[in-house]
Amino acid sequence: MPASALTWLIALPLAVSPLVYLLGRLSVLKGALVNSARWLALLFLLACGVPLFQAGQAYLATLQPIDWTVGMVTMRLDGISLLLAATVWVVGTLVVFYSWRYMEHETGEEKYYALLIIMMGSMIGLGCARDIFNMWVWYEAMAISSFMLVCFYRQQPSALEAGFKYLVQSAVGSVLILLGIILVFAETGATDLVLIAEMAKFASPVPMLAAGALFIIGFGVKAALVPLHTWLPDAHSQAPSGISAMLSGVVIETALVAILRTTGMLSSISMTWGVLLLGFGAVNMLLGNLMALRQTQVKRLLAFSSLAHVGYMLIGFGVALAFQQASSAAGGFFHLITHALMKSLAFLCAGALMYYLYQARGSHRPLMVDDLAGVSKRYPLVALAFSIAVLGLGGLPPLAGFMSKWQIFVGGAQTQNPWVILLVVFAGLNSVLSLGYYAPLVNRMYRLKPAQVVESGVKPSWQLELPLVIMAAAVVVLGFMPHLMSWLTGPAAASLLASIAR
Amino acid sequence: MNTGIPAIVFIAVLGLLGAGLYALLISRHLIKVVVALQILVKGAMLGLVLAGRASGQIETGQALALTVIVADTIVAVVGLALAVQIRRHFNTLDITKLTTLRR
Repeated sequence: MPASALTWLIALPLAVSPLVYLLGRLSVLKGALVNSARWLALLFLLACGVPLFQAGQAYLATLQPIDWTVGMVTMRLDGISLLLAATVWVVGTLVVFYSWRYMEHETGEEKYYALLIIMMGSMIGLGCARDIFNMWVWYEAMAISSFMLVCFYRQQPSALEAGFKYLVQSAVGSVLILLGIILVFAETGATDLVLIAEMAKFASPVPMLAAGALFIIGFGVKAALVPLHTWLPDAHSQAPSGISAMLSGVVIETALVAILRTTGMLSSISMTWGVLLLGFGAVNMLLGNLMALRQTQVKRLLAFSSLAHVGYMLIGFGVALAFQQASSAAGGFFHLITHALMKSLAFLCAGALMYYLYQARGSHRPLMVDDLAGVSKRYPLVALAFSIAVLGLGGLPPLAGFMSKWQIFVGGAQTQNPWVILLVVFAGLNSVLSLGYYAPLVNRMYRLKPAQVVESGVKPSWQLELPLVIMAAAVVVLGFMPHLMSWLTGPAAASLLASIAR
Repeated sequence: MNTGIPAIVFIAVLGLLGAGLYALLISRHLIKVVVALQILVKGAMLGLVLAGRASGQIETGQALALTVIVADTIVAVVGLALAVQIRRHFNTLDITKLTTLRR
């Protein structure tokens, strides 16, 4: 039973995606008023919730990973996959609902939904892959669908430019991963993560170390580790807002999960992977925050702040890998969830404002920070949700972002290692620095007079605002009751530690 | 067992990777960038076959290489499609002229 639920969870999005496209295309050709793709997409995603729930329940009842073998390839649902799948599903479903109105005026709506579903399916698959090569295939599927989504507005030169940049960087990254796989495969003759972890002890260390480095760099392109991040602000700011929310909320985290899986696999070679991740984390936080400070476009600002947040997660995971500490792994995973919620919320709010101010009139101008002036007067709900999102991202106490950062910092402090404590202090200071660009946004929305462009915006739409309300409520509730997520983060942390403890 | 062939293939892998990387770094033309990426992946593909032989799992290595062909062809197709669109909207295929996002 649990294995069949896992089968459905992985197969359903892949099977459904072409169907959504075909039926959507048909309804366009028949001249239907409403593109059927959007209904189908939402219905199928809700249907996906059933196997997710069943598989999750089966896993949580025993905490034994669920395996599903097809030929030579094994898919495995463990704590990390469940957490990733749940996050992808929640954010993706809300984004699909949000896109009903947001993408209404665009041509090729059916392609958008089909690609979005395949991207979600490949992320769920990547989380569940127990085979390193299979993981690469899922990663490619995710990458290809996201290239096409980033340049969805193909009439806009800047979107095309961002998409091509993204494609080249990502393709080079995937070649590096492939080289890592070649080294591991040549050394051990296996592609199964668990098998490799067993055999790595007896393999010669130099190729394995090289493979680990290649994995970190290769997946690091997608996870936006700092010297490899240059695609991110362009892609995030040029993609449709729903896609920016997915990219920033779950795609970069999926790549982080891939890094965790591969470094966990090679942990018997060396324990320094965690230290490496800590180093990347420090650089990510500093550069992300400093670059965000000087942005004038809202979506670019949010994109750079994603870099900083990847940095916080890396601190949590790095401490977990280097010191085998469950509490900071749980903190990292909790931050993964809260960041997915808060950052998608922020992007969706920015998107809603873009829609009200420009897009409903057929203009694709970027939303500038100056356009936010006095937004609260005309769009109070969006302004409130946006404030909750950015203040949560900045780590203000009663919100979810504070709780997850706090858990990461406490985990770091518990190691009693002076360097890690120094790093935690540095992360805390970075968090304060980040308020330097989040707070002015809130100030601008609430205290300034409405700008001309805000006055002339269209009336708010409930379809855009319902997902915002749900997510903002989740951010506030998780801030007051962070333990609500420990059923998800606890097993994930345990799975991560189980993969490195040997 | 002939030991000469793996050595030749190994040199070919390194050669392809080197050539691909070099081409990627010096190309200023979108199509050439896609070609360079293809050369890089071809090197990796050959490497997979070689790794299969080195570890005594020849069939697995070849099966993986076949999968890589599929995935990598799709990347090439998307890359070329993007190049077509870029040619349409920018009227150039020169990478240095794509500057709408430079700031």
